[in-house]
Amino acid sequence: MATGLTLFIFSFLYRDNPLFKLAEHLYVGVSVGYTIVKTVDSVVVSLIYKPIVDQGEFTLLIPVAIGLLMLTRYVPKAAWMSRYAFAFIVGLGSGLAIPRTISSFILKQIEDTVRPVLSMAGSDGLTFSMNLLNPSSNLNAIIILIGVSSVLFYFFFSIEHSGPGKAVARTGIIFLMIAFGAAFGYTVMARMSLLIGRLTDLIEFSDASYGRPTLWLVILTVGALFALSRRSAASASSSD
Amino acid sequence: MSLSERMLKIDRRIIFLVIGLCTLLPLLYPVGLPIRISPEVRSIYDYVEALPERSVFLLSIDFDPASKPELHPQAIALLRHAFRKNLRVVAMTLWVSGTGMADQLLTQVAHEMGKENGKDYVFLGWSPGGPAVIINMGQDLYTAFPSDYGGKATKGLSVLEGVQSLKDVAYAISLGAGNPGVEAWYVYGKDKYKFELGGGCTGVMAPGLYPLLRSGQLNGLIGGLRGAAEYESLIEQKGRAVAGMDAQSATHFAIIVLVAICNLFYFSLRQQQGRRHT
Repeated sequence: MATGLTLFIFSFLYRDNPLFKLAEHLYVGVSVGYTIVKTVDSVVVSLIYKPIVDQGEFTLLIPVAIGLLMLTRYVPKAAWMSRYAFAFIVGLGSGLAIPRTISSFILKQIEDTVRPVLSMAGSDGLTFSMNLLNPSSNLNAIIILIGVSSVLFYFFFSIEHSGPGKAVARTGIIFLMIAFGAAFGYTVMARMSLLIGRLTDLIEFSDASYGRPTLWLVILTVGALFALSRRSAASASSSD
Repeated sequence: MSLSERMLKIDRRIIFLVIGLCTLLPLLYPVGLPIRISPEVRSIYDYVEALPERSVFLLSIDFDPASKPELHPQAIALLRHAFRKNLRVVAMTLWVSGTGMADQLLTQVAHEMGKENGKDYVFLGWSPGGPAVIINMGQDLYTAFPSDYGGKATKGLSVLEGVQSLKDVAYAISLGAGNPGVEAWYVYGKDKYKFELGGGCTGVMAPGLYPLLRSGQLNGLIGGLRGAAEYESLIEQKGRAVAGMDAQSATHFAIIVLVAICNLFYFSLRQQQGRRHT
């Protein structure tokens, strides 16, 4: 099954065809079906039904009621009730996410960008500690500082990027291009890894102990593609 | 039509074929190119290596079969290492679509290493709420997961002896293919409940997680199939990731050559067009 569906998906590289469509629709259907079944089993049965019926935890009916309010979206006259559920979710989500995200991604990252240049050590309080002659000062800290400052300046549109400002903005563009290049390089690596994973499986299933399904299914897929292309060519010539 | 024009309008299926062959041939005939261990992968290995026996190791398998080729080898290598060190493995997932796969991989490695469910390891399964599950586990692990994946009550399991919340976890690693994943574990877990955290991710996500590594928010990072191969080399149990590295190198080389050739033809064509205009 896995071998056949992999080959059907790969057949798209030749051209769009019904075998690819079949595999694509099966993938979507199976994914959605699996998620629904797992969610019903893990949430509705294990976390709602069993605790309420078996253990008498009736307080669980409160979140259940809030959740059910969401479904009132399907009844136009009662749709306003869903706003309470959404308000609860948005409020809870924002309350959880905003402080933690600011702390983790903004404050912590700013601290890390600034820390090598400024230090709070000693009785003098805040001191400038960057010293190229000091082995603890490293080149990466300077590169990061220049990168962050120039990229931030590039996105500062309130003044014209001319003169020295143009040089800073250009430096920012160079840093951005390097970042995009690194991201693209990793993306290529990731996509190739996926291809390697599928080809490894195809090689594994070409073994005689499995009955060589890869070989038979390659023949079947190529044959089907050939027949389909012959049929579409014939229908095109008859319509002419 | 000049050679440059013809080459720039080449049927893309020829490029697919070249990439396909560059991937397939090294898989069939491996060369065994050397694998250099990066400091970010080594720091995860060193941390696991330094943990005392029976420490609690939490592995959050936050991916589904779509990211299996990259993250499955990482999970297998980490589990082999943890079981070899006799750590208590607590596995879970924040991705509902990955539950079956996560259970299968944990059971497979545990069986291979002769470990017992409930005593040496437990699979908690999936619980709804995404990042809220992490907060819930930080307060009380047994409220977030009253029962394990098999339906057995988590309270009283010997693998969870002395574990009340995330604060009792010696080391946690999230293998994430998106959200919720590594970032969520830092934001809602480590930052709040102060336990050591490492990460594993797909290649696409790795550049976005490097800032967390440098700032010490993560103590190590395993990026993509390459990271998995490095970890397999470190534990000296070479698997699918190491086997795929020759193919990875060959395809990268092919892509670099194709990009260079395309640029060569592009500039050559521009030069020809410039000459025609003058």
